[in-house]
Amino acid sequence: MKKIEAIIQPHKLEEVKEALKAIGIDGMTITEVRGHGRQKGHKEVYRGMEYQVDLLPKVKLELVVTDARFDEVIQTVVSSARSGKIGDGKIFVFDVAEAIRIRNDDRGEGAL
Amino acid sequence: MQPSLVQRTAQVDAIVTEAYARIQPAVSVVAVGGYGRRELFPYSDVDLLLLTPGPVQGVAEFLQRLWDSGLRIGHSVHTPAECCEIHEGNLELTISLLDQRYLCGDEAPYAALHQLFPKFVASQRDDIVSHLAAMTRGRHAKHGNTIYHLEPNVKEFPGGLRDIHVMHWLHELGCGNPVPYDDAQAFLFDLRIKLHHFFHRDNNFLTFEAQDQLSDDPAQFMRNYYRHARQIDRAVLRLLELSEPAARSLFGQFRDWRSRLSTPEFTLSRERVLLRHPAQLETDPSIVPRLMIFVARHQVALAPDTEMRLQNAPAMQWSWPALRGLLALPRCSNALHALADLNLLERIIPEWAHIDCLVVRDFYHRYTVDEHTLVTLDALENLAASKDPRRDRFARLFSETDHPEILRLALLLHDIGKGAGQGDHAIRSVEIARAALHRLQVPEQDQATVFFLIEHHLDLSSIMTSRDLSDSSTALRIAAASGTLEQLKLLTLLTYADISAVNPTAMTDWRLEQLWQTYLVGYQELTRELESERIDNLENTPTAAEFLEGFPTRYLKTHTPAQIASHLDLAQRLNAVELVRVKGAYQVTVVSPDRPFLLASISGALASFGMNILKAEAFANRRGQSLDTFVFDDPHRTLELNPGESERLHDVVLEAVLGKLDVEKLMQKRRRPPIHSRIAPHISFNNMLSESSTLVEIVAEDRPALLYDLTNAISSEGANIEVVLIDTEARRALDVFYVTANGGKLSSERMTELKARLFNVCRS
Repeated sequence: MKKIEAIIQPHKLEEVKEALKAIGIDGMTITEVRGHGRQKGHKEVYRGMEYQVDLLPKVKLELVVTDARFDEVIQTVVSSARSGKIGDGKIFVFDVAEAIRIRNDDRGEGAL
Repeated sequence: MQPSLVQRTAQVDAIVTEAYARIQPAVSVVAVGGYGRRELFPYSDVDLLLLTPGPVQGVAEFLQRLWDSGLRIGHSVHTPAECCEIHEGNLELTISLLDQRYLCGDEAPYAALHQLFPKFVASQRDDIVSHLAAMTRGRHAKHGNTIYHLEPNVKEFPGGLRDIHVMHWLHELGCGNPVPYDDAQAFLFDLRIKLHHFFHRDNNFLTFEAQDQLSDDPAQFMRNYYRHARQIDRAVLRLLELSEPAARSLFGQFRDWRSRLSTPEFTLSRERVLLRHPAQLETDPSIVPRLMIFVARHQVALAPDTEMRLQNAPAMQWSWPALRGLLALPRCSNALHALADLNLLERIIPEWAHIDCLVVRDFYHRYTVDEHTLVTLDALENLAASKDPRRDRFARLFSETDHPEILRLALLLHDIGKGAGQGDHAIRSVEIARAALHRLQVPEQDQATVFFLIEHHLDLSSIMTSRDLSDSSTALRIAAASGTLEQLKLLTLLTYADISAVNPTAMTDWRLEQLWQTYLVGYQELTRELESERIDNLENTPTAAEFLEGFPTRYLKTHTPAQIASHLDLAQRLNAVELVRVKGAYQVTVVSPDRPFLLASISGALASFGMNILKAEAFANRRGQSLDTFVFDDPHRTLELNPGESERLHDVVLEAVLGKLDVEKLMQKRRRPPIHSRIAPHISFNNMLSESSTLVEIVAEDRPALLYDLTNAISSEGANIEVVLIDTEARRALDVFYVTANGGKLSSERMTELKARLFNVCRS
């Protein structure tokens, strides 16, 4: 099992969700986050007031998938979240040691 | 009384009496709390007080027997003297004893209590009442001080059964009338019985699941619940207010001091407004708007007596000027909450009934639609007072709006179409609002703004989460949706308030940033369009087309057909000046052939009269005719106090237009020693936004003749002013100029020189 953590542009969320749904992935956790990568922040001037915008709004998507589906899911996220511009985001992948369904104590891939 | 509760109480009485008869410990067995009141709910604890002068045999066995019979017993053992002590830990006992009922057993201890307790209560009454009040307020605060929870606890939450008990106890303590067994009480009793049967335990949460099970129409059912809860909530708060001993604190003295706010119509007692002549409600209904304006202006509440009289007063129609007077106040949401609580908002806007206590069941909404609507007004109000730097920029935006009352009116009606059928509620809200505004006789231009805001109230929040803000098509979309800068500002503020009022944590930093970015994208696009989007190919009469072609498209969006017609009239003359009064200020409109220094001459002429320019707009059409509009106020009331001055001002402006006036000489007479400005000026140049001109944006501390000096500096640099938009906010002037030199953008040398000149002007 792998955990996929994708930081994407907010406006790409619907597209990514739809694309995942189309390949049968429904379960995910979505968080509104702020941060910056290489895009860094920028200074913004509005009517004489300077605002340092150093944390840019992004959306974090977390999901855990079986090893068998891993490549397909990554491909789907990458292609649906990509606009080709700076700030498209990043994906991080972790190995998952165990998954447990709290309701009935199901373990392993069956608990996903 | 609720018959099944009385019946259950009698059954339990029989079980307790029988168990006592078998063991006979030397105690008085006293029913207390709900059991004492004969209100025993199916799964409630049976609260017993065992009174004894000292340690006795057989109590454990007696209780054991009761447990075995299946009752859930809550018991305490006390001496009569212990029952008459007052301290924090004892309050619960004291209060439960207010509902005591002798059941069986040794009569002597109970007789002692019966003798001591009333004296104790009489001597400690004020303390008990204060404790009870503090406990009740604490409980309300813990549950958000609102009855509007989607899954309420029908016992503990504001407006629940506990509040009925509080009223009952206060009555026992000598405050208020006996609590009648009314509809609201019957509804809650019945509901709690059903909940106990549904959960098979003492669970008083009206969960979604329970709502679905207990009724065929959960939305209507919850509406009923809120209406009853609201009645109870209001009654208990009112009674608490009347019962609490007068504050002896310093704050109390301050409150008394505030009573100097009293007017011939209203008087203040302990921060509560009373009518001096209550009969006036019958003869002069227009006192109601004045009363509510008083409430809002001084941030005070209505006295219980005033509330009662208002509710019983004959229905009155509010005119738009009356409602506008209230909505225009910087802090008016307390008055609107009060009107809603008293069901008076429905009399002003009958359409309010559509959303009264209306539940929208989803994961995000915390409040009913009516409460959400009122909370949007709170959000707007809190914005102005916010010290949070992240909200500062929105607060500034709010201070730039000329007509906060229009924004508030739109907020009051933005969700009014919810619960009225299927489909887009924004469109339905507009339809319903149309009837309301027509009846109130809101001026057409303001109506249009309100409809626009309601129709588009979801647009920005949808754009900010689903559109790529760096994409130019998003900018065009925001600009097209909002039409003008003014409308974009209003829409941004409306969206801010709307999101903030979904639930207390809905306006996250994330959303705050996204909304601001969305506003900025729209702002930049609309400013760019000022210069780049010109009126073209009008299918109009040839004269109209000739006059209009070349103006920014903004012109058509910000002017009514009547205003355009009057400009066309002016354009028939070669040089025309018109001076009119508009809503507490003056406006001068000039149509004339464009020439260098024209704008400077007019602003100088106005400044020489001591006029303070609030807004200005200037642009030229393709034929080289320029239309300049200035809105200004008259701080010295020159025009008002000297009838001839209006005409003289008109003539001086005309001379300035014709170039016959030595403005610099006139100005020298009025020059005052420079005051060092407190706001650091900001001047920026942008050559990218427009294809043919340079954008100059200036923010500086406003001062007399600032516009004259700025325009003079631009013209002296040999630059031509193509488009101008001037605004002021608090003490800041916000100026946007599009300038050209020799028919094109400014060179970098020229920009440097002009920037230096402009800085000098702003700093002097």
